[in-house]
Amino acid sequence: MTCDEVRRQLGALIDGELSPDLRLDIEPHLAGCEACAAELDELRGLASGLALPSVAGVPSELWASIERGLDGERTELLRRSPGVRRMARLPWALAAVVTLAVGLGLVGLLRNDSSARASSIDFTLLLDALPHDAKQAFTKFVSHYDAKEASPEDAKLFAPDLNFEVPEELPGGFRRGSVYVLHFGELAGVAATYDRDGEFLGVVFHRPVHTGHCKPHKDYPCVAGHQEGHKVSVGQWRLVHLMDPTTCHCVLSRLNEQTELPPIMSAVAPPLPSGDGGRHRD
Amino acid sequence: MPDEQELVKRCRAGDREAQRELYAQTSERIYALLLRMTSSRDDAFDLSQSTYLRAFERINQFDGKSSVATWLYRIAVNEALQLLRRSATARGKLKELETRQPGDAGAGADIVRMDIDDALGQLDGDERAILLLRYQEGLDYRMIAEALECAEGTVGSRLNRARSRMRALLGGSYGRREEEDVGAHPRSSG
Repeated sequence: MTCDEVRRQLGALIDGELSPDLRLDIEPHLAGCEACAAELDELRGLASGLALPSVAGVPSELWASIERGLDGERTELLRRSPGVRRMARLPWALAAVVTLAVGLGLVGLLRNDSSARASSIDFTLLLDALPHDAKQAFTKFVSHYDAKEASPEDAKLFAPDLNFEVPEELPGGFRRGSVYVLHFGELAGVAATYDRDGEFLGVVFHRPVHTGHCKPHKDYPCVAGHQEGHKVSVGQWRLVHLMDPTTCHCVLSRLNEQTELPPIMSAVAPPLPSGDGGRHRD
Repeated sequence: MPDEQELVKRCRAGDREAQRELYAQTSERIYALLLRMTSSRDDAFDLSQSTYLRAFERINQFDGKSSVATWLYRIAVNEALQLLRRSATARGKLKELETRQPGDAGAGADIVRMDIDDALGQLDGDERAILLLRYQEGLDYRMIAEALECAEGTVGSRLNRARSRMRALLGGSYGRREEEDVGAHPRSSG
């Protein structure tokens, strides 16, 4: 077989769709022809690159939106183009944000984008970008949820239902940078950044989301001392979550989970007053 | 896990639990396909939503000749192609999809992935669909033909053309042209 004849079959070869006879004809040629063998490698590389799955999980609110469609909005939803459907979701979500924002005099932070539609949280925004620049990834993540810088006191007023602390200094010498109030759809959230000689640490507090909604996360057993939580790892970074009945406390750091992280978790996740259901189950 | 026939039967009866089960079994793949076809989380969300709404609406038309997953791919690809054809600016959209895999160590691999996704975004929707169905979703030629509603004998040549365009866009060593295949693409008999 000539090189041209062989190369015409390389696609079918990598796809496993070549007849056995033709494969037997081609293989000796490939064994002796560097150029064709290199082309085969190249095609395999392309196939591998295309095969890499996306890391993005299915948005937790997708099924709910489908159910809404099944419950009666189907005709209307299907009649519109996707772009129009997206805009159509905004009013109720924006109304919820406005309710919070007006009460706190934060109308200026409103952004007209789709981030306001979900009451759950898409951590893939943070996780996907972590290896590039963790601090930038964190900033991008909080910006997506309409971050507005605030004092720790205002953050507590903004999110009175959350149980959290953002002390000026964390165990281990991390100094507080910025504190942000966030909008996870209609729910309030809070985030803060910390720094220790250039080492970044970020915290996010939000209402607990059902674990079934934490699509991008992998659950791990007890990773922060004896506290309940789970984590996801991206390279050296760990996003560790610690939940009590009112709040999910998320800490992004490169700290050792057994020695350095537990005191920090304790600092940002104070015990609930008795009667609130307890926390930090063993 | 209920078998597919039983699941479809229950979906036809409007059983919400069955609909949810079908969604749970297939949504990751459908969403991943749409996300990479559109490079937009919002579009992927909307298209996934319309895919399932159409699927449940038309579940009586599912004839069982293909798997229900392949049938869903067909609906999803049609939805995506309609959007891409409508949107003159689709190719210029800001790419939201970060391409790095958690835990991946090699920066070089990331660069390759970025190039591949950039090139993918330059292709026609049909070319994007066939490459993703083959290499991301792992469908064989017969299933691709079912999903794209085309003759099975044309899948190989379509793939060759799409790969050639990718290689031309990627340049460098990828740039050497994979000669276009002609209709009589030899295939395994199995």
